[in-house]
Amino acid sequence: MKNFPLLLLSIFFFQATFGQTGVTGTINDGEFNDVLPFANILVKDTQKGTTSDFEGKYTLELEPGTYTLVYSFVGYQTKEITDIVVTEGQLTSTNVTLSASTGQLDEVVITTTARQNTEAAVLSFQKNSVNLLDGLSLETIKKTGASDIATAVKNVPGVSVQGGKFVYVRGLGDRYTKSILNGVDVPGLDPDRNTLQLDIFPTQILENVIVIKAATADQPADFTGGVIDIVTKDIPTREEYSLSVGATYNSDFHFKDDYLASEKSQTDFLGFDDGLRDNPLASNQVVPLPQENGEIVELITQRFEERLAAQRENSFMDFNFSATAGNQYDIGENKFGYLASLSYRNETTYYDEYIDGQIFRKDEADKSNFDLLADRTQNGELGSNNVLVSALAGLSLKSEKSKYRFNVLHVQNGESQASIFRQSNFIISSNNIKKDNLIYTQRSITNGLLSGKHSLGEESDWTVEWSLSPTLARIEDKDFRVTPFRITTDPDTGEETFTIEPSESGIPSRFYRDLEEISLAGKLDIEKKHSLFGFDAKAKFGGAYTFKNRTFEVLKFSIPSLNFPSATLNGNPDLLLADENVYDPDTNSGFYIRQDSNDSDSFDSDMSIAAGYVSEEFKVTDWLNSIVGVRFEQFTLNYTGERQDGSSLDNAEILNTPDFFPSVNLIFDLNEDGDKKIRTSYSRTTARPSFKEASLAEIFDPISSTTFIGNIDLQPTYINNFDLRFEKYGESGDFFALSGFYKSFKDPIELSFIRRAYGQFTPLNLGDATVFGGEIEVRKNLGFIRGLDNMNFNVNFSLIESQQEYSEDEREGRLDNLREGETLDDTRQLQGQSPFLINLGLNYEDEGWNAGLFYNSQGKTLQIVGAGDVGDVFTLPFHNVKLNLSKSFGENNNSTISLKFENLLDDDIESVYQSFGTEDELYSRWNPGQDISLSYSVRF
Amino acid sequence: MKKFFLSQVALVAFSLLLIGCSSDDNDPIDVSDDVDPVDSVITGQITEDITLTNDVIWTLDGRVTVVDGVTLTIDPGTIIKALPGQEANASVLIIARGGKIQANGTSSAPIIFTSSTDNIELGQTAGTNLDENDRGLWGGVIVLGRARASLSGDAPENQIEGIPASDTNGLYGGTNDADDSGAMNYVSIRHGGTLIGEGNEINGLTLGGVGSGTTISNIEVVGNVDDGIEWFGGAVNSSNLLVWAQGDDGLDIDEAYSGTISNSLVIAGDVSDHALEIDGPAGSFQAAFEIDGLTLIGNTTTENGEYADFRDGALGTVRNVYATGFKASADVELDNNEVSQNFLDGLITFENWVLNGADNTIFVEKVACIENCDDNDPNNDVTEEIIILDPTFTERAANWTTTGTSGGANTGVFSWTYASAKGAF
Repeated sequence: MKNFPLLLLSIFFFQATFGQTGVTGTINDGEFNDVLPFANILVKDTQKGTTSDFEGKYTLELEPGTYTLVYSFVGYQTKEITDIVVTEGQLTSTNVTLSASTGQLDEVVITTTARQNTEAAVLSFQKNSVNLLDGLSLETIKKTGASDIATAVKNVPGVSVQGGKFVYVRGLGDRYTKSILNGVDVPGLDPDRNTLQLDIFPTQILENVIVIKAATADQPADFTGGVIDIVTKDIPTREEYSLSVGATYNSDFHFKDDYLASEKSQTDFLGFDDGLRDNPLASNQVVPLPQENGEIVELITQRFEERLAAQRENSFMDFNFSATAGNQYDIGENKFGYLASLSYRNETTYYDEYIDGQIFRKDEADKSNFDLLADRTQNGELGSNNVLVSALAGLSLKSEKSKYRFNVLHVQNGESQASIFRQSNFIISSNNIKKDNLIYTQRSITNGLLSGKHSLGEESDWTVEWSLSPTLARIEDKDFRVTPFRITTDPDTGEETFTIEPSESGIPSRFYRDLEEISLAGKLDIEKKHSLFGFDAKAKFGGAYTFKNRTFEVLKFSIPSLNFPSATLNGNPDLLLADENVYDPDTNSGFYIRQDSNDSDSFDSDMSIAAGYVSEEFKVTDWLNSIVGVRFEQFTLNYTGERQDGSSLDNAEILNTPDFFPSVNLIFDLNEDGDKKIRTSYSRTTARPSFKEASLAEIFDPISSTTFIGNIDLQPTYINNFDLRFEKYGESGDFFALSGFYKSFKDPIELSFIRRAYGQFTPLNLGDATVFGGEIEVRKNLGFIRGLDNMNFNVNFSLIESQQEYSEDEREGRLDNLREGETLDDTRQLQGQSPFLINLGLNYEDEGWNAGLFYNSQGKTLQIVGAGDVGDVFTLPFHNVKLNLSKSFGENNNSTISLKFENLLDDDIESVYQSFGTEDELYSRWNPGQDISLSYSVRF
Repeated sequence: MKKFFLSQVALVAFSLLLIGCSSDDNDPIDVSDDVDPVDSVITGQITEDITLTNDVIWTLDGRVTVVDGVTLTIDPGTIIKALPGQEANASVLIIARGGKIQANGTSSAPIIFTSSTDNIELGQTAGTNLDENDRGLWGGVIVLGRARASLSGDAPENQIEGIPASDTNGLYGGTNDADDSGAMNYVSIRHGGTLIGEGNEINGLTLGGVGSGTTISNIEVVGNVDDGIEWFGGAVNSSNLLVWAQGDDGLDIDEAYSGTISNSLVIAGDVSDHALEIDGPAGSFQAAFEIDGLTLIGNTTTENGEYADFRDGALGTVRNVYATGFKASADVELDNNEVSQNFLDGLITFENWVLNGADNTIFVEKVACIENCDDNDPNNDVTEEIIILDPTFTERAANWTTTGTSGGANTGVFSWTYASAKGAF
């Protein structure tokens, strides 16, 4: 850890300056989910005031003191906010929502206090939205102490996260849940998934996260569970700097002498490899066999790193820091702003008992035997170091009627893992194996965004928004090394002999995988305010275009030997490629490198989506707001690749589907204040096959020993979505919502096992599926109990049921393996779907103190769909209880210290095989330990 | 679908690939073209009848499949050299269901499948640059038929291991035990056995659901990474088989193979595993094999060289065996209670085993772990109890075991083989 990123810190030079003094904020339109431009802001009983700009933003310079501000706009209720405290060098943030005045009566004035207003503003976006959505403000994220987006979104009702990375909304993940960045498509970072993993986005870059659960025409059509829109930080309205540092200690992981690691490159601490793990051969290198050209084989073999063993070393603790800087300047009539943000996280985990990938089988010969039979047991130790660096830089230029924004985001992630596993095989094979695994995965995503917003027309009744966003995503598995030894134990002495036996334990191998995805996304939205049926209405139309190209390549080498007694290595993987053991043509003995790559492992695909839409938001009466629209999307997919039998496609069009996607959203106001609403919605959406799925690819995965077979005939899935929700907005941020949803799927795509070919899987369009469920959310201030004014309670609970029909092979496979007395249901739950999700939170806030106790769990989730005699694997609930404490202090409370405790119950993360009439057997289990984190942050 | 084609053009195997250079420190190492020009190449799918003649050396390039309804005839004395390539690129000859191979060599003019690196020339029966330890230089020969196999879940057919399910020519199994896949007679298969992955391998000769109308006799497999010969179900009778220096098991029986293997010889090499590996049916269809006349030659260098392993519900008879040269710790084991029960029920039988340098104590009843098997601690494992008692399996073995220095197979029939020429027995 000699490269402790103090070095990086020193790059940033901080200068404490006094900013403006006064009040700033945004005025929102209570009628639409929009801002209110040109509204008036006045200090009560004075002439001092200003107006909001076209983005609804305002800044009013004031002397320190306590003020009452009056917010007004023609045709809207006037709002007075009392007790706004202005301190020296600070801009107090006050966001206000103005609602239209009903009827032509006298001016209505609503008075509220500053504190109540702030809390209510959090929900105002949600309240006024025509979409059915759940927002997660930065405030909420800060309270829960989440450091990445994947952890943060778990707090949204109906949202769960698989493997700490992949988000499921309403039990639907992967192709059914879409993650977008600032409203536009970005590529994924996993060759096996359709969605973007969210754990690589730190919360520091966030403005907010919005989870949209029901479609409107301006949203992409290819989502069903939800769209997760990651909105990066906006340019601040004033000079602002912040700095935070933190560290986390886990007694199971840190300062352990037996931590496992591989060798590090000079730049590992920055999240990328400096070339140490590069393939040492040129891409066009021909690798002969020793029988063909022994001298060349020797030279080639010598080029490879000889390290294949996991090394013992001491583990360091987790640490992180982040810094932001931003300012806004007046240039004539225009405003120019910038924002820069850098965050760094370095995390180390070590599991001394890590059980994973075990196989238990049902007794095929004897259906009355309910026991699951162990076929493979596997456990060992695993050490991993994860570095995450993100940088965000943005510029904005704002004139009276236009705003331009340019943003660049780069996320860099390097994960190195070293493990030693022992595996015992009982049924398919019969042996004991020791494996050393060294893994390095490097991910990066670079996103540019150029966007503009223009207010046009005499009365600013036209709004035009556009954005252009190129993204480059890359994931590289660099020199993934596996060295298996077969272990033979002498029954008398107990002495172990380690041999390399390719046909029993697999061949030592190393491979490189490189996935690169480029996307270009553009979007244009045009909005016109007008009158319809005597009410304000909004017409919206626009278009979008996304192009994505993905290339995927695998380069595999194995390390066989010739005339070499492998028992002499004593099970030390580092000796295989030691100088003295490299193949020597003179003796015709030793280990050598052989190239094993296949053309059918690699592919090159591109897809495009061209979209256009129209929608109209209007009122028929003053209690019914409607938004009706239709979207057209044309999806095309082109593929280049080759199958093992030699058949190939060269840039062939696999899919070309033009489709219409109608949507209707109705919002019924149950009272005049609009704080009780019923929302209903219908929409048609789609789910499309991924690049890998609609392909000829035949990819062998050496980790799971399974083969994935692409299906070039795959068709998109179409889904009808129905939603109903009751909402009640109360005082002090109180909120109640009850939702129900029903979704029916035509031709859903599921990965299906192939009954006649064990260990091989292919995606298929299966029979119909349905998903339905309900969500309840309550946020309540406990002020109704005396003395608990500062205490807030929230709970959300989701119940989800999914019904997926089986493929023919799956049904047969299940019927073959029913136990005596067991019957087969017509359907099963979808993979990755949890029957229930729950979040509980209790929060206390007072005079700079903030304390929160949180609980999150999800019901047992179908993790792996069983195949034949291998049963279904379920992830068991993980009961996570955490406690956050923080205290703000100093001038204007600009310094905060926080202390965070994770996994207070010390729960295990566990997945099991479940089968009729017998006990569960372990698929995987590890203990994440208990994190204690301390951090300090300061704003100036 | 690529069609079979003949190329009379010399194959420049490697130099074509050496196009362009990067100036990095990983410059390609120049590999000169030192492969002998070859005469004829077979590749892709063979969709019409074809004869491989013995006047040229044939090259097998990649996965070559003789499809349903097509016959591949190979003249006596023909040499087929397979190009290197691993996993899916491995050179493999597949006779799909309904396809036929007519490979009738003679003792003086055997048909030889070997690696393209072998310097064997027309008219020879062996090259000089390779030996039995040169393994995995190509794939192997796979013959698939429509005879019954006892498959998991009683599936009617199955995909042979190593071939992805997207290639339906990899299917085997059916209901016709008399199915005819042609004939293989006086065929030597050398230096093959490339791997696909753990437990997913190419044997020297793989016979999947091959019916009794097929002739399999006088077959030699030398220096294969995986098993020498493996039967997945099927009813074909097989005779005069020789396996030498295999990387895994010599003769491997699965999925209720119901034929007879007569007069065979397995000679272990430095890295060989079991001489016999016998698995039982995977579905409800039960059938037993018979091995009659078998010589097993072991050695003391291989770490895991054993006589035989009966596992996973094995059913069958092994009679007239001669075994010599194995390590003292080598055994014939019944793997678990299920197998031992089959023995008690008379479903596994042994007759007339002549052992040289060993006695009935090589016959051992083993037990399986049934509880706490999946943690790090072997001491808390709970295992089955042995069930062959009074007398024990070892004691009963005295009934069929004698010591001696001869017996088993008539090895005289193997004088045509490469193993014989190399003095392996």
